[in-house]
Parts: sequence; C-alpha cells; structure tokens
Amino acid sequence: MANAAEGGPLRVGMVGVGERGSYHLDLLLGMDSVEIKALCDIDDGFLYRAKKWVQDTGKPAPALYSRSKTDYLRLCDRDDLDLVVTATPWQYHAPVCIAAMQAGKHAATEVPAALTVDECWELVETSEKTGKHCTMLEQANYSPDVMTVLNMSQQGIFGDLLHASGGYVHDLRLVKFDPEREPWRLQHSIDRNGNNYPTHPMGPIAWWLGINRGDQFEYLVSMSTKARCLNDYAAHFFGDRHPYASMRMACGDVNTTLLRTAGGRTVTLHHDTNTPHPQTAEMRLQGTRGLYAGNIRKLYLEGRSPTAHEWQPLAEYEKEYQHPLWKRFDEEKFRTSRGHGGGATTPLLWRRLLEALRAGRAPDQNVYDAVTWSVISPLTEKSVAAKSRPVDFPDFTRGKWKSTPPISFA
Amino acid sequence: MERFPRDNAYNRREVLKGGALAGVGAAALSAGFAAEPLKSVRVGFVGTGGRGTELLRNLLRLEGVRIVALCDINEANLARAQDLVQKAGQPRPPGYSKSDTDWQRLCDRDDLDLVVNATPWQWHAPISVAAMKAGKHAATEVPAAQTVEQCWELVETSEKTGRHCALLENDCYYREVLMILNMLRDGLLGEPLYAEAGYMHDIRAVKFNTVPNGEPWRLEHAVSRNGNLYPTHPLGPLSWWFGINRGDSFSYLVSMSSKARSLQEFAAKTFGPEDRRSKTQYKLGDVNVTLIHTEQGRTVTLYHDTNTPRPKEHLVRIQGSKGVYNSMMERIFVDGRSSAASKLREGWRATHEWEDPAEYRKQYDHKLWREQEANARNAGHGGVDYLELYRLIKNLREGKPLDIDVYDAAAWSVIVPLTESSVAGRSKPVDIPDFTRGKWKTRAPIDPDAIG
Repeated sequence: MANAAEGGPLRVGMVGVGERGSYHLDLLLGMDSVEIKALCDIDDGFLYRAKKWVQDTGKPAPALYSRSKTDYLRLCDRDDLDLVVTATPWQYHAPVCIAAMQAGKHAATEVPAALTVDECWELVETSEKTGKHCTMLEQANYSPDVMTVLNMSQQGIFGDLLHASGGYVHDLRLVKFDPEREPWRLQHSIDRNGNNYPTHPMGPIAWWLGINRGDQFEYLVSMSTKARCLNDYAAHFFGDRHPYASMRMACGDVNTTLLRTAGGRTVTLHHDTNTPHPQTAEMRLQGTRGLYAGNIRKLYLEGRSPTAHEWQPLAEYEKEYQHPLWKRFDEEKFRTSRGHGGGATTPLLWRRLLEALRAGRAPDQNVYDAVTWSVISPLTEKSVAAKSRPVDFPDFTRGKWKSTPPISFA
Repeated sequence: MERFPRDNAYNRREVLKGGALAGVGAAALSAGFAAEPLKSVRVGFVGTGGRGTELLRNLLRLEGVRIVALCDINEANLARAQDLVQKAGQPRPPGYSKSDTDWQRLCDRDDLDLVVNATPWQWHAPISVAAMKAGKHAATEVPAAQTVEQCWELVETSEKTGRHCALLENDCYYREVLMILNMLRDGLLGEPLYAEAGYMHDIRAVKFNTVPNGEPWRLEHAVSRNGNLYPTHPLGPLSWWFGINRGDSFSYLVSMSSKARSLQEFAAKTFGPEDRRSKTQYKLGDVNVTLIHTEQGRTVTLYHDTNTPRPKEHLVRIQGSKGVYNSMMERIFVDGRSSAASKLREGWRATHEWEDPAEYRKQYDHKLWREQEANARNAGHGGVDYLELYRLIKNLREGKPLDIDVYDAAAWSVIVPLTESSVAGRSKPVDIPDFTRGKWKTRAPIDPDAIG
C-alpha cells in the first residue's frame, strides 16, 4: 500500500488510548484517509474500547500491543506505519517518540515532549539524523483568540513586541487524586518543584514572539510558593490522618517564571494547578503600540482604541483580524463521533498536521518548538532549587533561529 | 458534603503552627512603636507642586492640623500654597525658598510636630532624616528612599530619635484593598499564597512634561536607571495582605526588564525624529517584572510599566489557599462556596465558576469607607488622598502606632535599588534586608478593625 506521502492513506499507530489518547483516536476516526493500524496501552479496558471504536467505523481491527510498559517498541517496529501518536503519561513521551523516529516513523506527542534537557537534545538529534518529524500536539496555539492576536501581531498592530505572559492556571486537585483520571500527575507534584506543565501558555507565546523564528530565549529565573493546597485537599476529603494530608509535596502551589529573549523581550509564565481557581486564559501580549489581555479578552491600541487609556473588547477586532485558518475552517466536519469535548482547536491542529505530512511539509510545530517549550520544565526546577538563580536556555536550533522566517500558514 | 472548613484566624494560628512564632504566645505579639499623643499637629510642608498641593488641601480639611511653615524652591508654587492655608482660615505661614536645601531651616524650627514632604524622589530620605534629627515626625511621599543605605538610615534615625517616619502610601486605603484585608482576616480566601500587582500606568506625557503638572525629573531616572523605580503602590496593599513586617518578611527577589523602546518612539512622534530626546538611549526597560519571595513561602509578581501605551492597572490577583480575588477581572472564587462543594469531585471544569463579587463587597466592606466616604469623596485618587492623611493625623493625635511605619517605608522602598542590582546582574537573586531585625516574627498582624 502506498504511504501517505505518495497519496495513500496516513497509517497511524497509537500509544496510550486513555483519557486524552481516546480523544485523539475519536478525532482521527472522523478524518478522511487515515487508517488506524495499531494500538498500544497497558490498560486492557482502554485498549479494547479503542479497538471497538475502530471497528465501529467499519475499518479492519487494528493490531493490539499490551504486553508490557515497553510494548510500544514492537508497535514502532511495524513496517506499515507513517506516524506514531503518543498520549501516555509524561515520562513515556520522549522514549516513544525516539523509538518511532529510529524506526522510520514520524512522531506526534502529547505535551510536554520531554522531561529532561538530555531528552530534549535526543529528540532534536534523532529527528535530524533520521529525517523524521517530531511534532507536539499543543492545541492551545490554535485557539481562536491566540490566532487572532497572532494575526494582528504579525501585521505590526502592537508595534515592536516587548512582553508576553501566560499561565497554566487550572485547578487539578481532583485529577491528581482521582485514580480513574490521571493519578500519575500527583507523583510529579510530590517529586518536582518548578513549572511542570509549561507548554499550553508557552506555545502561543512562542509563536507570538517568533521564538526559534527570529528570536530565542536566553535565560530564565523561576520562583515557587510553598506547597500546602494538596495537603489541605487530602485532609478535607480523606481525613487528617491520611498520608497525603501531611506528606511533603515538592511542587509549590504557584510557580512563576520570567524568561528573557535575545531580542530583549520578556515573558512571565505561571504554573498553578493546586489552588482553587477557575481556569482562566491569563495570556497577555504587549508591544510599543498597545496590548492584549486574555483574562478580560480586551485590548488597547494607541491611536486606534476610541478612548485614550481604556480597554476595548477583542470582539470588536475579530471580524477584521480573524485568522485565515479559522475563516477557512469548517468546524462541523471535525466533530467527534463520541461526544468528547475540547472545542475545535484540537481538530484544527490535526487538520494542519495531516495536511503537512501529506504534502511532505514540516508541521507547524517542529521538533525545535517541541523541545523549546518543554525544556522550561527542567530548567525551572533547576532555578527554583537554587533560590531562583538565572539558568541559561539551550539553543536547540544551533543558531538557525536567526535565519528562520516567522511562522506562516500559507 | 460539607463545605471547606473556614479558618477564621489563619494568621495567628497557622503562623504559630508554621514555626515562625514557635514558642511565642499570642499575648507576646508586639504592637509597633507609638509616640506621645499630640493635641494638635503642627505641620511643616516641603514641596508644594502638583502632588504637594493635593496633600495640603486634604491636610487643611482635617481637625487638629495647623500648617506652620512651607518650603518650595518654586516661588509661585509657594505663594499658591500660602494662599491656600490663608483661605482655610489659618495664619499665612512663612515660606522657605532660599535654596535646594532650605528645608533644613524649616526642620530646625522649634514649633513643628511633623514635616511632610512631597518633593522629587531624591529629596525624600534627606528631608525625613533631617526632620527626625530635629525632633519632628516625618511623613514622606513614595518612595521613602532611593538606596539601601538610605533605607537603613531612615530606620536607625527613627529608632534613635523616637520619631516616626511614615510613608504616604495612599493605595493601601482603596476600598477594594481594605475589603480584601477583611476577607483575609475572616479566612474567606484561606492563607494568602501569591499576589500579582504592579504600577502599570502610562506616564510618558508626565515624563516628557507635555501635560500640566508634568514631572520632567522623572525622565532623568528613565535615562540612567533600570529596574522597578516605583514599587510601593502595589507593594503597600499586598504587604498588608501578607503581613509583611507583621508575621512575614520579604526574603529575596529576582528582577528582569525588557528592552527600552517606547520613550524613543514617543519622543519621535511628539518632537520629531531629529530631536535630542528621540535619540537618547533610555536605560529603563519598558516592562520590568520582579518576583519576590517571603519568609513564609509566599510569592509576588510585581510589574513596573510606565512607558507603554496602556490602560492603568494596579492589582491583578490575590490567590489564597481557599480562594482567589481577581481585581482586573472583577471576579472572585471561593472554594466550596462559588461552586457547590458536592460538585467538587464531579468534573474539572464545570464546578469552577467565577462569581461577581458584588455580594462579597457588601459583606466585607471596610468600616473606614463606611464612616469616611462622605469626607473622602472629593479627594484625589478616588478619596484615598484624604484617607491616608486622616489616618496619619488620627494616629499621631491619639499616640498610636502608625498604619505604615518606618519599617514598611524601608521594606517597600528598598525594592527600587534591589531590582536595579538584580537587573544589572542578569536577574540574579538579591537578598532583601530585614529592617525589623527579626521583630517581624513577633509583631502583631495588622488589625483591619483598628483602621477607622
């Protein structure tokens, strides 16, 4: 059978079909010219549910892999796959991607792509050596507001960019303690202090500022509060004497990181998954001519906003500056069949990724983006452990950021 | 399912539990320094420009205040101030305007209780020190000092002379700030863990003196200095919330600045690209961000952003262990109350809904505002220019500790030179001096009920 680059269907193997992976599967099953050839999960419940979903669409049953925690290696070794998709717990993301690329497949991974600096370099080097893509599935980059602001910014509306901020401010206390959700997340809170989940805000900010495409991070400093909210939560729901009520949690409840770029711009990044707080888009982009504030969905543009120094709703600019990708995007065609939520940003991401792979183009999020956004996690841990001292940022592009053009979706 | 339990005294109980006050009973908590009560407060006033005039107007409305002497090198400003005092029914006070340091002669008078100063920044500390050395209390506009040494000098002079050095930080008296103080005291938001705030205010026109009451001396600071040059407006409120110098203390900071572009752009647009001001290399980064860590493990994100075109913002959010108040969004979330506690375990999005804080505002409104709103109404900055002076004069007359004392003045102002050090050292961590020399561990938390 012809592979995707030769006009055949895109042949996919999926590793991890639990909470998030099953959503990706659901989306892929609704897309033309995609074949799910193989599935891997150590949880048989997830695995057989996924198999049934594939068969329900009238497609042949996929091969199943569940022998051990490293059975993804056998999946990667198949000779009928173009792409391996990973939606596993974090520590498997880099190993699965590396195995996939070494076996000649493109890799697409849930966020973050890696947990250590070494893993980040290994992803870059493996991708460069094998000529295979490693793309991250960071859907936040495709959210309508993020893309509208990107469109405005690329047209110079905000002037010369100075500062951006954003955060993953999402109360995950429930998820961390729920064995049926993602209990492995709790272990990261127990062991690691820093920004453990940077890519959701980092991806959009990196596109806005042109990171790896004209600018590059130089260094960061990071600071955490004490950790008490997970203990409080455990004491409330499980009782004062439950081990988690008094266990020492490494991860400070609120972590804040400052980054500086070679172009003299700064970024404030929040990580806040333990405090009671509604999920809020904390995104901000600021330039010499105005700024956008995502928490209130407003902006101010000097000489253009009707009243000096007064916010104006972003909605008033949406018509003029809606991103062409969203203008062309027919949401209806990308509904999942099984009612998974998640809006239209992940479907748009998949459409872009499949188009790129079919056309033999680099994905919007290349391997350098994947590691630049992910490496924040180990770098912040290092800074926090050393009383917020500055930590240098590796240049994974080895200087290529200077000559890489701004991101374009043409 | 039951609600999250309210902890009505996180401050005392948890601070004790946490070890900062281990072994110290509540009774051993100490109040701040108090001076002898004053029947009336005889004031010498230094700096009668735009800001000074606003303060003077409010002082003249307070009972028990007499303006005895005035000082300004600008004789027109001085005469305007003398007229104001006379119009208020007091004798026309003598004016001091011989030189840049004529405030020294004013301080040396023997008929003053308090020297208030609203001068350009570099004069704040020298005037306050001179006043205290001459036996007068000092009250200074913000910031109180420009260097670490000046901060220590203020503290040591105050301790040695037994005179107050008050900081006139009006932002502490905003209705919202005092409401949050009430919320924290009642445990509504749990223990405060994190605050985000800043001085985010486009004052390009003030710096370039293209508006009435411009302050062109501010531009000189932007030419030669890089850091957070004006931290006390946001730091005052959040220091009260965290109990800085009263159960907690600033420990260290890191600071980072963006490049400086906006002043050049403004000058080019306003004066033309060939103007000297359009070619000046300004040192002050347009957006400065500072992270501060406290002894109790809390953190602050502090912005200084005075060069860019933007709406004014000062408080963003205060995050506690049981809830969050977002001033910029005008929203509140309280665990177990904003979403029914029974739903806490059901979903990860659906149960987290922001609330309109209107009902909370009624419940936690501070008594100072209920009692003084009519008097404050026409004063500057929405009334707080009156309230800060009302509180200062009241405490001095009653012989009580000040709301904002010399330790607060030093701890909030020292952020300026420390951010400059950090920025110059590529955002390296810089320790923040403990001006209380350990007394923060035993000083009583600020009592919102005592602010009336």
